[in-house]
Amino acid sequence: MNGVESNGQAKADMRVRLRGVEFKNPVLVASGTFGYGAEAKKYCDIEQLAGIVTKSVSWKPRPGNPPHRIIETASGMLNSIGLANVGVHTFVSEKLPYLAKFDTKIIANIAASSMEEYRDVLEHIEQHATPNLVGYEINISCPNVKDGGLSFGTNVERTEELTTLLRASTDRLLIIKLTPNVTSVAPFAQACERAGADAISLINTLVGMSIDIYTHEPRLNTVTGGLSGPAIKPIALAQVYQARKACGIPIIGIGGIVSAEDTVEFLIAGACMVQIGTANFVHPDAGIRVARGLAEFLQKQNISAVGDLVNSLRIRAELKAAGW
Amino acid sequence: MLAPGLVTLRFHNPKVARETIAGQFVNVLPKAGAIDPMLRRPFSVYNTDGDEAEIIIQAHGRGTNILADTAEGEMLDVLGPLGNPWNYKSGDFKTAVLVIGGVGVASMLLLTRALVKEGLPVQSYYGARTKDLLALQDLTNLHVATDDGSEGFHGSVINMLRKDLEARKIEQPKLFVCGPTGMMRAAAVLAAEYGIPCEVSLETEMACGIGICQGCPVPTDDTTFQKTGKRFRLVCMDGPSFSAETITI
Repeated sequence: MNGVESNGQAKADMRVRLRGVEFKNPVLVASGTFGYGAEAKKYCDIEQLAGIVTKSVSWKPRPGNPPHRIIETASGMLNSIGLANVGVHTFVSEKLPYLAKFDTKIIANIAASSMEEYRDVLEHIEQHATPNLVGYEINISCPNVKDGGLSFGTNVERTEELTTLLRASTDRLLIIKLTPNVTSVAPFAQACERAGADAISLINTLVGMSIDIYTHEPRLNTVTGGLSGPAIKPIALAQVYQARKACGIPIIGIGGIVSAEDTVEFLIAGACMVQIGTANFVHPDAGIRVARGLAEFLQKQNISAVGDLVNSLRIRAELKAAGW
Repeated sequence: MLAPGLVTLRFHNPKVARETIAGQFVNVLPKAGAIDPMLRRPFSVYNTDGDEAEIIIQAHGRGTNILADTAEGEMLDVLGPLGNPWNYKSGDFKTAVLVIGGVGVASMLLLTRALVKEGLPVQSYYGARTKDLLALQDLTNLHVATDDGSEGFHGSVINMLRKDLEARKIEQPKLFVCGPTGMMRAAAVLAAEYGIPCEVSLETEMACGIGICQGCPVPTDDTTFQKTGKRFRLVCMDGPSFSAETITI
């Protein structure tokens, strides 16, 4: 019997739909943590992933920041890679065709330093789109470049203006990746919704710092960097919850996820999909481990579809009444 | 224990033990299954024997302290072998000169074996802060230097090697260097001075070890490579060993 395990329990439905695009499960790998697929392929059956969000691509290649780019911190790490990437021309001539060979969805992450550059990169990819390219994730939240997207990501008007501009250039999924480095994520979520984004993804890294106490120098070459890993999970979860209350479009949860249980928390808080980031650096197959664990969790808990978990947070009436 | 300050970890891993070529490394989690410390640590494969492999641990931080205390029978989470081997078949030398600083000895045992198998003479110049940090086993034609004079030449291994190069004692040498950054830089300068080939094996902070995090760049002077628009090579994928003149250490 199709879909029924030997123990009699039906396999849970892991599929997720984002505006007409069906993903085989809710687990994506995050931009910058999986390269362009080829590097991790040896260690990970990438067709078991819902999709790959590719390393940020800009109009011209970027060499990235000088060392040191990575510092380990408590249950996490600081990075200052600086958007090192091959540029959009190599991306469409080499990376997209390579990724087209796999039965998984591709979301192209775009980073830029001006409205025009964002649009030009997106339109160039549109012209060379491959069949499994289903959408774009717009990085307006990289903290590690001077002329980067964070100037968009911390300004509600610019976020809305950029989203409107890009919306006019594509019918594919348009996902805006938000930063936690703002007082409240709610107005940004609402701006994306107003401007026609299909979804938002959050959070990008938090600005962090590490100092060598003997030399008094910052450990990263850019002084501050982006904090990621399990250390930021509670913050990410709270931001997903706040964004869920603020807007009606789908949310992709990101931030320190290493396990199926972490994923379930994000789904309950209101995300309908997640991205695995830093965990890929430790286990390149972390995404498929999480997807497998999630399927097992659903089956054990007798939950028939992963969608049943989404936005299922229960806050007791007295807490709500008290204003929480 | 290899020396009072160095311990070896021996683990069963047929893939690593059978496939590693001298100079490659493994990326090891301090504690399998833990999320703190979270990242793997890179270690040269020191020795292989049947289905077992060994790495050398010099405890000097959170991760290496945990690894140095690994109990017998505990599971290790090991990814590898990773990176490129030493280029010991470059054909541009008659004598392989191993220039070793401290725990850099970890990549030299397999190299010595490979060179001997190729029928190439080996001279080993090995320096450490003090004699307790010397792992002298299985090195060939050994010249030892210690910073404190507790063993062998009193001073730096580079100065010891310089004397022998000046005296033209070594026939058509190529330097294979692994040690602290300052010592590798000095070795590269020395090699350039004498116009001899020099390969250095770098150690940097690294997260993934397989080229996805882009966290381990080394500035490159290689103009052919720069034509691709890149200014950095990755230690994990493009190295860890590099021809010294192609990079800025």
